[in-house]
Amino acid sequence: MSSIRLGIVLVSLMAMPAFAAETGRVIRSDEIKVEPFRDAKTTAMLSIGDKVEIVKKNGGWLQINSPKGKGWVHMLNVRKGEMRKDAGELGGLLSMASGRAGTGKVVATTGIRGLDEVELQAAKYNEAELSLVESYTKNRAEAQVFATQGKLVARKFDYLPSPDVSPK
Amino acid sequence: MKAIMKYLLVMALTLACCAAWSFDFEEEFKKVLKDGVQKKIEEKSDAATSSALLGLVGISQEEEITIGRQIAGNLLGASALVKDQSLQVYVNNVGRWVANQSERPDLPWHFGVMESSDVNAFAAPGGYIFLTRGLYSLLQNEAELAGVLGHEIGHVIRKHHLKILQQSSLVDVGGKLISKRIGGNDKVQKLIGNGAEIVARSLDKNAEFEADRIAVVLAARAGYDAFALPEVLQQIGHFSKDDGSVALLFKTHPHPDDRLEKLGLAMNARLEDVKGKTLETRFYRIKP
Repeated sequence: MSSIRLGIVLVSLMAMPAFAAETGRVIRSDEIKVEPFRDAKTTAMLSIGDKVEIVKKNGGWLQINSPKGKGWVHMLNVRKGEMRKDAGELGGLLSMASGRAGTGKVVATTGIRGLDEVELQAAKYNEAELSLVESYTKNRAEAQVFATQGKLVARKFDYLPSPDVSPK
Repeated sequence: MKAIMKYLLVMALTLACCAAWSFDFEEEFKKVLKDGVQKKIEEKSDAATSSALLGLVGISQEEEITIGRQIAGNLLGASALVKDQSLQVYVNNVGRWVANQSERPDLPWHFGVMESSDVNAFAAPGGYIFLTRGLYSLLQNEAELAGVLGHEIGHVIRKHHLKILQQSSLVDVGGKLISKRIGGNDKVQKLIGNGAEIVARSLDKNAEFEADRIAVVLAARAGYDAFALPEVLQQIGHFSKDDGSVALLFKTHPHPDDRLEKLGLAMNARLEDVKGKTLETRFYRIKP
């Protein structure tokens, strides 16, 4: 009996991440589109601060559910998780107080060193490791073969101009 | 008594004037140099002319690689490579394919994953690029790796670190060192300061935003989902500022939210309908 109960608890624990839908907040007002394309039909309008539930990502688009409707919005107009708490001048203090906002992803720290300024300054030239990294080098043609294996095809795009508009 | 007082007063005034003058002069001198270099960087930010800018102060590609090699060797002295040959070969394939899409495909590009739990990536002149195990472990697919490497490739092709070196050595030794032909390692080491400290320095924040814009375009050119780097930035943005593993990254870069803000302004309406591959299944999962 108790093992069944334990089993139920375990199963529900394991299943939890699947139910915990990721949420986000709208940081720039945006149209909800029926498909992830610029020219797709618009069904509703989201305003700054609106909360959305994120279903999935497709390129630059997020499929979302919200009280205002379902559909696709620009990924970069939505900030995943909680809004940044340390924006503005009180940044340092608030982030100290709030601790880790948390994706739940914690990188293992045991036994592996960090890389801070002091260590970088004190670093001594290591020819053996450098030769090792150089031994892995791929040339242009080899990378092309690798790309073809992944069905990656080179395309032409211009570099993006700097946005002159200030974010504030 | 009166004479002594007068003498002291004159001395004090003289000293005060001297101090004020030397302070102003030094600040002004630095400012002029800084503004001059900054202006040059802004004027010559496109790739075709940036080599012309470096030409002025006489750094050949060979010298650039020599400088980068010394920095890379020092960096690897701080932390060794992850001992996983398949991982290193994989990262070199992805990195080289992305670098092929840049205007400097003929540099001998090198990529490596370093043994560190910190979340960070580094670029040295001439095409030496490293990311930490900590950062690699956050990645979900090949497009995200391409985006991260693309950002560092952006620093290399726009010579952001070389410009910092020129700026600082101008201030330090009046530019003499840089205009000389660089010989052995000792001289290069003098130029780059202590160890690999150059990679711990902050670049101008516009250089970081520029590297982000280059990264997403190179990823798109390479056939990847251009919106993979923003995905990584969102993840990094969730770290607290006082989390030690992102301390150096946060210190030397604008906050990920600000980088996402700028990317949004630059990417929306230009790359929104561009789809690309993420290659999740091919992505090499690092062994814990």
